[in-house]
Amino acid sequence: MKTFAIILFAFFGLAACSDVLELTPTDAISTEVALETDEGVKQVLIGAYNALSASSLFGGELMRNAELFGGLDEIVWLGTFEAPREIYNHQILVTNVDVEGFWVEAYNLINICNNILAHIDVVKEADRNRVRGEALLLRGWILFELTRFFGQQYVAGTNNTQLGVPIITSPSAASTDNAFPARNTVEECYAQALADVTEAEALLPATNEVFATKYTAAAVLARIYLQMENYEAARDAAHRVISSGKYSLLPTYAEIFNTDGLTKECVFGIVVTATDGINAMNTYFSTLAYGGRGDIEIKQSFLDLYDPADTRKALYFKTANRWRTGKFNNQFGDINIIRLAEMYLIRAECNLRLGTAVGASPVDDYNKTRVRAGLPAVTTVTLDDILLERRLELAHEGLRVHDIKRLRQSVGSFAWNDPMMVYPIPQREITINPNLIQNPGY
Amino acid sequence: MPTMKYWLLVACLLQAVIVFGQTRQLRGVVVDEQEEPLAGVTVLIKGTSIATATDADGRFEIAVPVAGATLVFSYVGFQTREISVTTEQQLRVQLFIEKKLMDEVVVIGYGTQIRSQLTGSISSVEGEMLERLPVVSVEQGLQGKAAGVFIEANNGKVGGDIRVRIRGATSMDASNQPLFILDGIPINTYYINDGVDITLNPLADLDFNDIESVEILKDASASAIYGARGANGVVIITTKRGKSGKPQVTFDFQQGWSKPTRLREFLNGRQYVDYFLDAAVRGGKYAYRMGLGNFDSEQEAIDKYTQRVLNDLAQFANGTDFLNNPVSTDWQSLAFQKAPFSSADLDISGGSDRIAYYLSAGYAFQNGILLDNNAKRYNINTNLDLYPGKNINTGLSLHLIRNANNTVPNDYQFTTPMQIVAQAPITPLYDSTGELTNYPNATYQSPLVDAYNSFNLSVTWRSIGGVYAEYFLLPGLKLRGEAAADISNLNTNAYYGKKSDLGKPVGGYGYVYNSTLENYDVKLLLDYTRTWNEHTLSLMAANEYQRYKLQYSEADGTGFPNDNLNNLSSASQIVYYVGNSDEYRFLSYLGRAHYSLSGKYLFTLTGRYDGSSKFGENRRFGFFPSAAAGWVISREPFWNNNQTLSFLKLRTSYGITGNAEIATYQYAGLFTVSTYADKPGLSPYTLPNPDLSWEQTSQYDLGLDFGLLSDRINGQLDYYFKDTRDLLLAVPVSATTGFTYQTQNIGRVTNTGIEASVYADLFTGKFSWNAGLNVARNWNKVVEIAPGQDIIDYSGSDGLNVMKVGYPMGIYYGPEYAGVDPATGDALWYVNAEEGSRETTNDYNAAHWVILGDPNPKVIGGFNNTLTYGAWSLTLNFQGVFGHLIHLSGDHWMNGGAATYDNQIVEALNYWKQPGDITDVPEPRLFFDNGNQARSSRYLSDGSYLRLKNFSLGYDVPEKWCRKAHLNGLRLYMSAYNLLTLTRYEGWDPEVSADGGVSNYFFSFDFYSAPQPRTIVFGVNMKL
Repeated sequence: MKTFAIILFAFFGLAACSDVLELTPTDAISTEVALETDEGVKQVLIGAYNALSASSLFGGELMRNAELFGGLDEIVWLGTFEAPREIYNHQILVTNVDVEGFWVEAYNLINICNNILAHIDVVKEADRNRVRGEALLLRGWILFELTRFFGQQYVAGTNNTQLGVPIITSPSAASTDNAFPARNTVEECYAQALADVTEAEALLPATNEVFATKYTAAAVLARIYLQMENYEAARDAAHRVISSGKYSLLPTYAEIFNTDGLTKECVFGIVVTATDGINAMNTYFSTLAYGGRGDIEIKQSFLDLYDPADTRKALYFKTANRWRTGKFNNQFGDINIIRLAEMYLIRAECNLRLGTAVGASPVDDYNKTRVRAGLPAVTTVTLDDILLERRLELAHEGLRVHDIKRLRQSVGSFAWNDPMMVYPIPQREITINPNLIQNPGY
Repeated sequence: MPTMKYWLLVACLLQAVIVFGQTRQLRGVVVDEQEEPLAGVTVLIKGTSIATATDADGRFEIAVPVAGATLVFSYVGFQTREISVTTEQQLRVQLFIEKKLMDEVVVIGYGTQIRSQLTGSISSVEGEMLERLPVVSVEQGLQGKAAGVFIEANNGKVGGDIRVRIRGATSMDASNQPLFILDGIPINTYYINDGVDITLNPLADLDFNDIESVEILKDASASAIYGARGANGVVIITTKRGKSGKPQVTFDFQQGWSKPTRLREFLNGRQYVDYFLDAAVRGGKYAYRMGLGNFDSEQEAIDKYTQRVLNDLAQFANGTDFLNNPVSTDWQSLAFQKAPFSSADLDISGGSDRIAYYLSAGYAFQNGILLDNNAKRYNINTNLDLYPGKNINTGLSLHLIRNANNTVPNDYQFTTPMQIVAQAPITPLYDSTGELTNYPNATYQSPLVDAYNSFNLSVTWRSIGGVYAEYFLLPGLKLRGEAAADISNLNTNAYYGKKSDLGKPVGGYGYVYNSTLENYDVKLLLDYTRTWNEHTLSLMAANEYQRYKLQYSEADGTGFPNDNLNNLSSASQIVYYVGNSDEYRFLSYLGRAHYSLSGKYLFTLTGRYDGSSKFGENRRFGFFPSAAAGWVISREPFWNNNQTLSFLKLRTSYGITGNAEIATYQYAGLFTVSTYADKPGLSPYTLPNPDLSWEQTSQYDLGLDFGLLSDRINGQLDYYFKDTRDLLLAVPVSATTGFTYQTQNIGRVTNTGIEASVYADLFTGKFSWNAGLNVARNWNKVVEIAPGQDIIDYSGSDGLNVMKVGYPMGIYYGPEYAGVDPATGDALWYVNAEEGSRETTNDYNAAHWVILGDPNPKVIGGFNNTLTYGAWSLTLNFQGVFGHLIHLSGDHWMNGGAATYDNQIVEALNYWKQPGDITDVPEPRLFFDNGNQARSSRYLSDGSYLRLKNFSLGYDVPEKWCRKAHLNGLRLYMSAYNLLTLTRYEGWDPEVSADGGVSNYFFSFDFYSAPQPRTIVFGVNMKL
């Protein structure tokens, strides 16, 4: 019997050891641990910038798609990927993977920002305003981007009851949190974005390594107000950036691009290194020789808009008989998101529209980029001159479709307010969330 | 640590058991029906491993317990006999020629069983059915051999993924592969991803010439003993072991070659030029008509489009006269290579009453049909059994493997050789400087440039080994301990040269991936069998602990001085690095009771209590029981020994199994590492779910085993119903949460099916014909997904497979193609807004999505024949898969109407040309989409096929000639794999799934997938 006792003991000897099943991962930590310390929350803020730099967002596709969406008359999509081709042709399927990726990554970023904001109290007091300001800025900025792609253009002087996107301001701790929101109106979205970015400007410091500053927020405000046709506020925000003295135009146009390291002209940029980040502008605009796919050709008719003496034209190059932009030829180069030149052109446009001369006269601001491009200064300027200069100076940097919309222009046969000038809400979201209403025409 | 305590106890037990058992010597002789002595007959004391063999005069001597014992006499080709001995001193035993499949010993989980006494549904495949097949992986040898077991290689790449589905798929997000047990060890079968989306099949490491038998456990009575991992069925592989007798030495060598089973026909140069010139005219007209592109007149649009095509084609033509005398490069043929195959094996086995051994060494070199794809495998196997004392058996197994695989990128990557067919035929292979023509002078980056300027070599070193010891504590009571390990080291070295797609912009791109996978398994098992009067009772209880750990690291570098200095240390910059580990554990207690009354009434109960680290703290352990009963009707007195229906057994079982094959830590709420600007950060990764647990499958089985004409014909019929609940599902979550998926136990899938198999000795004697036929039909149904959810759709714009409630998994869903508008050439789709209406639209977005067809085969089967005539033998194994559609997604490029410059299949020429044309191919319009959306029923094709999977012809050289050559036997043979295929499939090969992204959701999906190889080898087999 003793033997059997031993056997029985051996059998159940392991029973006491069920703690062998308690394991912890080696590449992740629990949510509670991540958000309970000053260091943790600050690392989550780095995670927010990482989300912002996703290829679907400021890693490049967001800007690429703004160019494709407004590009029928100036560029050609040559690539094999269907999603960008649909965007270029304004024949977007509700299953378009790039549209879905944009939505998904944007709300991922918003959730990260909301997590930071909800745990802001554990951040050391000395850094709290900065961290809070960065989270607010990123949340408001991406909401603005979502709104202008998924909702029809904001029209000043109306109630803007057309649908924007859902506004989310709290973190998700379970899969049902924030899962079934309805779309807010464009008016509400702009109000939320303005509130976040305005507060961010007040909280943020003037310098902040490679991250967002007070002037990043001001520049974003200038963009938002310009899109809203609020020219006074746009002008003043742009003026705050210019008059800060933190930034300066580089002597030549070519040296702005393909840099490793953000330049003095860059108000905000995405940092890409060989080991971190992706430059999706390079992927699509550049050619094989520079690590790109060579998917986008620049039409000759667009190049013809440049004065023959314009040095900016020299940045275009020809491979395989097709014109390409040379702005994105560094596979691991940083990506300019907002440049000082844009602020000069916003201030010029707004001053001219308003008949004011805040900071400088419109023609002086206009001459800034023109003279740098090797062209003679002029003494008078029209609105059309400024808008053309804007198109030439900031070409292929992600502003095109938004300018077409706010200027009531059209692309191909699509008018600025055509139903096909906004993205469809991704089908996956419509399927899961019955409260979402699809855009007309999809 | 549990393991320490464990082995200390085993050591104690070792001492405790030696005192048992008193024996005496028993002598005897074994003869055949003609009273001739039989040499080499195994004589085994039942319930033990104590065995001996008869000598040349048929004599044997064995120590039997004084208390009495049952002796089992077995010999290949003869019926096994059991004889009880009590006090006899001498035995004379007569053996009869084997006819009865029913008396075979079948390997079941944690033990063996005589087939007639089984209550579960188990298919067995003898090792000799697999031997010498010219394939690399054991599953390929099983295709068509077992009822209800669906096996399909994703494509024709050597060493790639192979899907095995036993009685249908039960899971959406966990694995549907069965559990593979090799000699008692759950071996690693996870496809190893070497970091660049190339998967390697771990089963391809095994040398299947060393396999004695493969048993496939299908119902719950058989598989519930594997608890939380039994839901997909279990495949038990048993390797050959030595038998006592003089050494047997066998040498086998074979050599042959492979070719693609099928090719497709593409446009030649002339056709290509004409096609695109016409498409330009049609594109220009369309652009003008639709107001796209600001043209003042139709002619202006046509001229601009035509000029555009002329410019582009001129570029692809590289200075050749494409208008008058176009080059016609056959790019498809360049994707393939000469594919020799060779293998050799040397086996030695034998033994005495103290030791039995089986040793083998072999190699198999298989070149894939696809450029740059090959596998070289070396195996050394050792199985030793030692009988050091009367009550002790012990032994070890060791399988050492080196498997080197030159892999090619997955289907979704443009560098994969098959995508070469997209190149324009007017592009010459070499440009004027003698270099391979490449983008931008070819339509796309040339896969040939990649093939010649890069390599991707994965080498696996794998050791699978184990030791066991058995002690007979009392008559019929056995204690067995086992410790085993399956350890793999994978090293992938890849380099993309300065001319390749990836390497060009960065001056060469190289990477190294290393992983170590350790899988340990220890178990302690008690086994008790007692027979008294008409009762037989077998009890088994065991506990088992398994630990799995994967560690990996990868580094990628760029900027190499030249293509010969391609080691990572030559890289000027490290651009990517990753390293991590992953671990899970299982702790299990299990038991089985089998009771037989008069060999007529059979009952089996099993249970397993399984815990796994993969599950949330609230539900870490689960219990998996099964119960089964069998009734051997033919042994009832009233059956009167009817020899027409000579065997009849009714059996039924019910039980619960689980599926735990998900990623680790899915239950936890986690933040993971994310970096920006090379600074460390954290990002949300998962939402917590402490209730996460295994999927639960309950299965009911009703079966009938029968024998006809004195068991010359045997068969099995089975009906089953599998009900899987609490699916481990990556439930789509509204992205406004910040997350897209969460793994939850939600959803339900059922599989209902019937299986039939018949084996018959149609002829015996000088001409013999042995035939086996199996057929199965499975009905799969998604019953429930998340609450309120009707569909899961990950297919995007390229695929069609979805999970939809009420339909089989992966059902095709999307717009229904309605052909071409005869008036305009526009592609049409059925609106399908209401049922019954056949209204059409030319607006793809306006078509409502509907069910378009089933990617799951309705019927699968096999028909296996072995014929012999004297010294000649012929094997014909047919395999068939019927009643499903395949999505030819790649055809939206290959038959895509000039939306891009991809070369087209010849069927594309049947396009709409003028009003009134009736055709299925829409008008091609340069750079415009017209019906070329991949997500459409247009690209579905019937995937049914019947295939002569294996054809082999052998000749045994007469004995007198062998003797002159001092050989005991010599066999010459030829063997062919995939020799004939009957199918209406329009793509390359109907046995297909793209390996880029294939999953439980995504299958029967053809995207530039390499066709299967047709392999023919000639071989010689010598017994020395």
